[in-house]
Amino acid sequence: MTSRTDETLHQSDANGLDRRSFLKAGLGGTLLLGTVSMTVGLTGCATQPAGMVGDTSSPASNYQFRFLTADDIALFESLVPAIAGPGLPEQPEARRAAIAGTIERIDSGIHKFGPANQKELRRLFDLLNFGLTRVTIARVWSSWPNVTTDEAHAFLERWRTSSIGLFNNGYIALTKISNVAFYGYEENWHLSGYPGPPQYAVDALPQFKQTRSA
Amino acid sequence: MQLKDRIAQGYESGWNVTDGATLTENQIYEADVVIIGTGAGGGTTAEILAQSGLSVILVEEGRLYYQKDFKMDELASYANLYQEGMSRVTKDGAIAILQGRCVGGSTTVNWTSSFRTPEETLNHWADRFGLDSLTPDAMAPWFDGREQRLNIEPWTVDPNPNNDVLRQGCEKLGYSWKVIPRNVKGCWNLGYCGVGCPTNAKQGSLITTVPGALENNAHLFHGLRAEKLIFNQDRIEHLEASAMSADGVTPSGVTVTLKARHFVAAASAIGSPGLLLRSDIPDPYDRIGKRSFIHPVNVTVAEMPEKVDPFYGAPQSIYSDHFNFSGGVDGPAGYKLEVPPMHPAMAAGVIPNHGKAQAESLAGLPWTNAVLALIRDGFHPESQGGTIGLRDDGSPYLDYPVTDYLWEGLRRAFHTMAEVQFAAGAKRVRLMHLDSDWYTSLADCKAAIDKVPMELHRVRLFTAHQMGGCGMGAKPEESVVNAFGEHHHISNLSVHDASIFPTSIGANPQLSVYALAARNSARLANKLKG
Repeated sequence: MTSRTDETLHQSDANGLDRRSFLKAGLGGTLLLGTVSMTVGLTGCATQPAGMVGDTSSPASNYQFRFLTADDIALFESLVPAIAGPGLPEQPEARRAAIAGTIERIDSGIHKFGPANQKELRRLFDLLNFGLTRVTIARVWSSWPNVTTDEAHAFLERWRTSSIGLFNNGYIALTKISNVAFYGYEENWHLSGYPGPPQYAVDALPQFKQTRSA
Repeated sequence: MQLKDRIAQGYESGWNVTDGATLTENQIYEADVVIIGTGAGGGTTAEILAQSGLSVILVEEGRLYYQKDFKMDELASYANLYQEGMSRVTKDGAIAILQGRCVGGSTTVNWTSSFRTPEETLNHWADRFGLDSLTPDAMAPWFDGREQRLNIEPWTVDPNPNNDVLRQGCEKLGYSWKVIPRNVKGCWNLGYCGVGCPTNAKQGSLITTVPGALENNAHLFHGLRAEKLIFNQDRIEHLEASAMSADGVTPSGVTVTLKARHFVAAASAIGSPGLLLRSDIPDPYDRIGKRSFIHPVNVTVAEMPEKVDPFYGAPQSIYSDHFNFSGGVDGPAGYKLEVPPMHPAMAAGVIPNHGKAQAESLAGLPWTNAVLALIRDGFHPESQGGTIGLRDDGSPYLDYPVTDYLWEGLRRAFHTMAEVQFAAGAKRVRLMHLDSDWYTSLADCKAAIDKVPMELHRVRLFTAHQMGGCGMGAKPEESVVNAFGEHHHISNLSVHDASIFPTSIGANPQLSVYALAARNSARLANKLKG
C-alpha cells in the first residue's frame, strides 16, 4: 500500500520537476524543446506503458511492455527498419517478427536504465510523438506509422549531421538502444560474424547444463 | 577450472547473505563497521576488518550474481551488472560511463588490467597535495600484498590479435609497449571478463575478498541501497537503507537501519560523493563531489587484413605508456593506449551509425581492431575535473566539462592511434566521431583528424574509470579525507574507494584502490580494536 502511494506521488512530482527544469534550462534549443514538451504533457499523448500489445508483437509473444507506450512502439516500428537496415530479413512475416522482437528488447533494456534515464527518454519520445514537435523539431511530416524507411533514414541523418549537440545526443540515444538490441541479439550475431561463446566452453561449464544443484 | 563455485559453496555452508528483495518488514542491524559498497575498496576493507575479528556489515545496491548467472551473454550482463543498465552518461549525455553495479562492483565486470599507481602520480600527490606518506617506496609493500592476494602478474599467454595490433604498431613506430598484469588464476583466455567471468578465474572482489569476509562472519546485504548517513551530534549513528525489489531497480518500500561504531564509504567515485552529499556531511570548504576524474576515452577502429576476432581472448594484454608522461606529469595531456574487446552489442553501441553503413561496419567485426586512449586528467590547472551533484530524486550525476586542454590531448591521441593502426597494417581506419569516414591512408586520416570538430556528442567519449570527488589531501581546505581515507571532520567515517584519488591515476585504477584500501583498513582495524 505504502509503496504504491509513494510511487504515485513520485510520478506526479517527477512530471512537475520535468517542466520546471526544462523552463530553467539555459540552452536555446533546450528551452524550445522544453516549452513544447510541457505542451505535450498537457495535451495527453499516450503516457502509459503499452503492457501487452497483441497486434504489434510477434504472434507468439506475450511480452509485457513496461516502459514503451503504444505511440513509442509505433515510433520504433518506423525507426528500426532505418537503423537495422539491410540486417532485417526481407520475408514480411520474419521481418515483422524481427522488428517486434527488437522493440521488446529495447523496452526491457530501458526498464533496467532506472528512473533518471527513463525520464530523459520519455522527453525525447514525447517530443517525437507529438505532432507539432515532430513536424517543427524533427521535421517529419507524416505521423510515424505513415513514415517510410527513407523518410526515417533522412530524419536520422538530419539529427546525426546537425550542428546542434542536443540533436546529436538524440540521434545517439535512438540508434544506440536500437543497435544494441538488434545486433546484440543471438539470432543476429551472424550479421557481425560472431560465432557466439566458444562451444568447448559452453560444453564444459556448469552454468550451461540443464540440471545442476545450487 | 574451478569446478566448485565458491559462492554456491558458501551459501551451503551458511554464509550470512541477505537479499534485500526478500525483506518484507523494516529491519535494524548493528555491527562494529558498516561498509557501503562491495567493489575493489569495499571488498578489501571487509575482508581485512572481518579477519581482524571485527563484526562487519556489507551493503550493496546491486544484486549478487555469480558463476551460475555468467553465461557470456552481453544483453543480460549489461542490463544486470552495470550502472543504469549500461546507459549511465554524464549530465549532458556526452560521455558514456561504464561502471559495475553488482556484488564485486566494477571488479566483476572489468577487463582485469592491474597496474600499480605510476610513480609520477604518487610523487605528484606528495608535491601537490601533501601526501608524503604515499611515496612509491611506502606503497610498494601494499602493492606486493595485493598482487599476491589477487594473483596479479603479467599475462604469459600470447596477446590476442586485437592486442597484437597495438603491440605491432608500437613496435614498428618505436613506441614503447608492455604486457599488462592481470588478476586471474587459471584463466581460459575466453574474452568475456566484461560480462562476468564464466570460469571464476578472475580474482575480483566477488570471489576473493567478499568470500574472505563472509567466511569471517561478515553479513552481506545485496539489493540494498544506502540512502543516508544519520548523525547524532558529531558522529554518524546509523545508515538508512532501502531494499530493492527483485528487478534490482525498484525500491520495495522496506527500509533497513544499520548501526555501527564506524562507517566506510566504498560506493565508487560517483556513489560515495553522492552518499555524502545526500547525508549533508559537514563540508565547510565545499569539497565533496569536486575534482571528479574519468580518464576520458576516445577510440579509433581499423579494418585489418587478417581476422582479428576482437571478441575472443583476454581483452587487454598489451599497453603503451609512451605518451602517458612524455610531456611531464603536469604538461600537455598524456594518455595511455590500450585496446577494448568488441562483442556485437558493444561494437554496435560504440560505432555511431545506422542503416546500411552500420550493417557494413558490423559485418566487418571479425576483421576489426579498436584502440583506445585513456587521457590522464587532473594534473594540469586546465583539468580540474567534473562535479558530482544530486538529481531531484537524490541519485548522483557526474557533470564533466571537456576543456580545450583535454580536447587537444584527445586530438593528439586520435593521431597516435591512427598511426599505430596503419603501422600495424590496417587497410583503413575510422574515428569514433560522427563526422568520420573510413580513411585508407594515414595521410588522409591525419588530415581528417586535424579538421573534424572536437565537440561534445560528435566525438564519441567513454569512461570506465571514475575517480575523485572525495579527494585526499593534507589540507582540509582542498580535500575531503586525509592520507588514510579518514574524513577530516567526522571521526567515525572513512572513504575507501577511487573517490579519494586527488587526480586520475594514469592507469586502470583497480590495483590503486585495492592497495590503498588494504593499507587504510589495516590502520582502521588497529584503531577500532585498540
